[in-house]
Amino acid sequence: VEWNASLWGQRRAFTEHVEKLAELVEEKTDGEFTINISYGGLSKNTENLDGISIGAFEMAQFCAGYHRDKNRAITVLELPFLGVENLEQEVAVSNAVYAHPAVAEEMSQWNAKMLMTSPMPQYNLVGTGEPRDELADFEGMRVRATGGLGEAFAAVGGVPTSVTSSEAYQAMESGVVDTVAFAQHAHLSFGTINEADWWTANLNPGTVNCPVVVNIDAYESLSDEHREALDSSVSEAIDYYLENYGELLARWDQVLEERGVNKVMISQDELAAFREVASPIHQEWIDTMSAQGLPAQELYDLVNSTLEEAKSGS
Amino acid sequence: MDSIEIGLWVTGGLLVLVVLGMRVAFAAAFAGVVGLIWIFWSRKGYDASELGWAMTVAIKTAGQVPHGKVASQALSLIPTFILIGYLAYYAGLTKALFEAAKRWIAWVPGGLAVSTVFATAGFAAVSGASVATAAVFARIAIPEMLKVGYDRRFAAGVVAAGGTLASLIPPSAILVIYAIIVEQDVGKLLLAGFIPGVVSAFIYAGLIIILALTIKGFGPPVTGFTWRQRMQSLPPALPILAVVVIIIFFVYNPFGGDAWGTPTEGGAVGAFIVFLMALWHGMRWPELKDALIETAKLSTMIFAIIWGVLIYVRFLGFADLPGAFADWITSLDQAPMLTLIMILLAYAVLGMFMDAIGMLLLTLPVVFPAVMALNGGPFVTAEESAFGMNGTMCAIWFGILVVKMAEFCLITPPIGLNCFVVAGVRPDISVQDVFRGVMPFFLADAVTIATLVAFPSIVLWLPSLA
Amino acid sequence: MAGAASILENDSTISRLDRSLSVLERFMSLIAGLGVFSLMLLAVVSVTGRQFFNRPLPGYVDWIELAMPLIAFMGISYMQRLGGHIRMDIVIGQLKGRVLWAAEFITTLAIFLVIVALIWGSWSHFLRSFDLGSPLWSRDSTIDIGLPIWPAKLIVPVAFFVLSLRLALQLWGFGRAFLKGDPEPVAVPLILSAAEQAALEARQIEDRD
Ligand code: NA
Ligand code: NA
Repeated sequence: VEWNASLWGQRRAFTEHVEKLAELVEEKTDGEFTINISYGGLSKNTENLDGISIGAFEMAQFCAGYHRDKNRAITVLELPFLGVENLEQEVAVSNAVYAHPAVAEEMSQWNAKMLMTSPMPQYNLVGTGEPRDELADFEGMRVRATGGLGEAFAAVGGVPTSVTSSEAYQAMESGVVDTVAFAQHAHLSFGTINEADWWTANLNPGTVNCPVVVNIDAYESLSDEHREALDSSVSEAIDYYLENYGELLARWDQVLEERGVNKVMISQDELAAFREVASPIHQEWIDTMSAQGLPAQELYDLVNSTLEEAKSGS
Repeated sequence: MDSIEIGLWVTGGLLVLVVLGMRVAFAAAFAGVVGLIWIFWSRKGYDASELGWAMTVAIKTAGQVPHGKVASQALSLIPTFILIGYLAYYAGLTKALFEAAKRWIAWVPGGLAVSTVFATAGFAAVSGASVATAAVFARIAIPEMLKVGYDRRFAAGVVAAGGTLASLIPPSAILVIYAIIVEQDVGKLLLAGFIPGVVSAFIYAGLIIILALTIKGFGPPVTGFTWRQRMQSLPPALPILAVVVIIIFFVYNPFGGDAWGTPTEGGAVGAFIVFLMALWHGMRWPELKDALIETAKLSTMIFAIIWGVLIYVRFLGFADLPGAFADWITSLDQAPMLTLIMILLAYAVLGMFMDAIGMLLLTLPVVFPAVMALNGGPFVTAEESAFGMNGTMCAIWFGILVVKMAEFCLITPPIGLNCFVVAGVRPDISVQDVFRGVMPFFLADAVTIATLVAFPSIVLWLPSLA
Repeated sequence: MAGAASILENDSTISRLDRSLSVLERFMSLIAGLGVFSLMLLAVVSVTGRQFFNRPLPGYVDWIELAMPLIAFMGISYMQRLGGHIRMDIVIGQLKGRVLWAAEFITTLAIFLVIVALIWGSWSHFLRSFDLGSPLWSRDSTIDIGLPIWPAKLIVPVAFFVLSLRLALQLWGFGRAFLKGDPEPVAVPLILSAAEQAALEARQIEDRD
């Protein structure tokens, strides 16, 4: 059996779990079941769900925020200021939501089944000039943040500004934006960290959610042995991802130190104020999605209860 | 038959269709769709009952490409700069530029051809698309050269080659595309193209002068302009400087302050300035409508090739030809510089058969990491690297080399786009004539590329300041 | 590219159909041109809004992505009418009479087949983004401000459908020329002799200047 997996960009921390999964599956089946990983050759990143639905390939990665209308249910995971603090918590809430029948139902419209998540760190800000560590400092701040994150910064008086990720460095250097919200690996690879004076270590404004899915027909036509090999490799692949990303985070700290970037810690009071501002956005999401027939409140509560559990467990 | 073999067969079939005279865009799409059907069917062991499934999946996969690939901000620079080209024509800028170049430079041997090269270089500073530049100067420069007795093939060749300068000298659509594929800073890349573009123009000029001195009856120098006439030619051409300054300031502020915006915005604002100039120069709705329809026609033609080739490229992705290429490159046991030169030569060969944008889109995801690895990885320092530069600088340097190669391929047969465009604008000149006329410039481009490989600082000096 | 071929006209049915279709095609090209123009204005609005009012245009990138298909596809059929999509004419330029019409018919048929396939493919691409049961009928949206994408995706099969009409007309024209052995058929792009083309081009340049 030979599967094709559609990813994009190039091999990086964000794709290591898929690489590991392919390696494990091949090992466990003595090479009978192989997964070829393609970086952009099979589809455009915003059309990976379309490709799964057509049956052009069997596995794909995508991000919910690229096309909210394609995957309304899991956008709950992209709400701003949910309070997720680290990758382990991100994995826990993602897994809980993926297991919900409403998500399975929506994915099945694309002939897709959730396999695993690609835990992304919070999109903390890098910025130039004086650190912005209070709610009041965000008034008039031009920030490169898309989608729900952009809305959240707008709610605190920020001005979300549309630039593509590849123009983010340029936009920051030229003053088109004052701050850029990215995960650490993107701040490194797009060079925004090189322009930065400060980085918000604990603002944790939210992140994107990027699942890995499989085509249902292909999954069901696997032999029991091969399906078992695939399913049993997921948690190992995620562990590997977390370990690998941990190394990147260690390097991130080192880069901050080398470049003298100020690590801004925002006080608990200020963080509470941010959450306060975000709560109408959460309520609006619940209302809109409920009106469209999704069990929105249930999904939202599921995120919160899972998060609480994860925090108390750690 | 394995997927690599299918890839090679379909590629051969595509070449046959192109040679037989099928429109290139649709031939590529046709080859892509057939290839996808073939490859999906092969995965079902050519079972007759699965042919319908294979066709459905293949056609739906191909059907994603036209919209999906075209709906991108990066590609929006292409129509914007074609529009600039037409508006600049109505603003009288192209003529003014050519006139000024003629009065100041045409006294050298091969004068009008040399003037054409520098006028296209000047126009390159407001045009982001090589093809548009070639189209505009085919209208202006070729008649003048024919008037004084140039060989029509050579006159067409000068314009086709001069047009390629637009993609090195900022703004440049293809540099933006490169930056986006390899996730590098767009502004630095645009700055990096400036000096190599000017060097390229001087090498073209040098070649023309040598040809004019050695070939009898090549085309006479044009002399007799007074200093007064020369000075008079400057003011109408000066507005182009304003546009250049605006576009540059949107990328990089030489005085150390903030730049004014992003390259994409700079392009569009530049177009708006030229639009105002054209209005001032007397353009009204009938002319504007004409410019818009002409822009739409040329854009459509270029986009058709882009999505057509990308359907074929999508098929190549499934056939994994790029993967096979990567394995081959990294298994070579030789000096990194030799491998780099081989990669550039491979681009020259590939570019003979592929559209430049399609070629970059297809190969860079594979070739770029290989080149970065050759240099010692993305985070290597200049001291520890193979090519004597750090990862970022290597990405910029390789980008300029690759774009210069892609530009070179715009003038090589069988599908060198610039030559087709010049032939299209000049109905009395056939594509074959243009290809023949442009041949001397292959040598000039080889010299330019060798210079850029040997002296990377030509590329890296400006971006290292920013 | 304009004027690279000429299209003869008379009062036959096929020629009248050709001219009617070309009115639609030219109108669609103008819309594409206006799309480019609006991209330019969009940038000016975005830059001035940001620089002078600290209010950038929300979803600037999203609007560009929605406008691009308009620019890329609306003129495609008009270019096919004019014979403006590039090709290598080394071989086909040498052919004459029935052999030429047969060759044109075959390559046009191949284009027709691939375009019919792509109408289906791009229509299904549109359908996946379209859902009557959802707000704004949207099942696919842009990244920043969540605009529905389906109108932009619909442009492709619509433009390809008009192109398929044009291709059908050209198949009829080339087929008719082949059967009748007609040296000067109407309603199809004709490869002109160098002298004819030069005269045409000279007229165009004079019109411009
Ligand atoms: Na340029
Ligand atoms: Na011609």
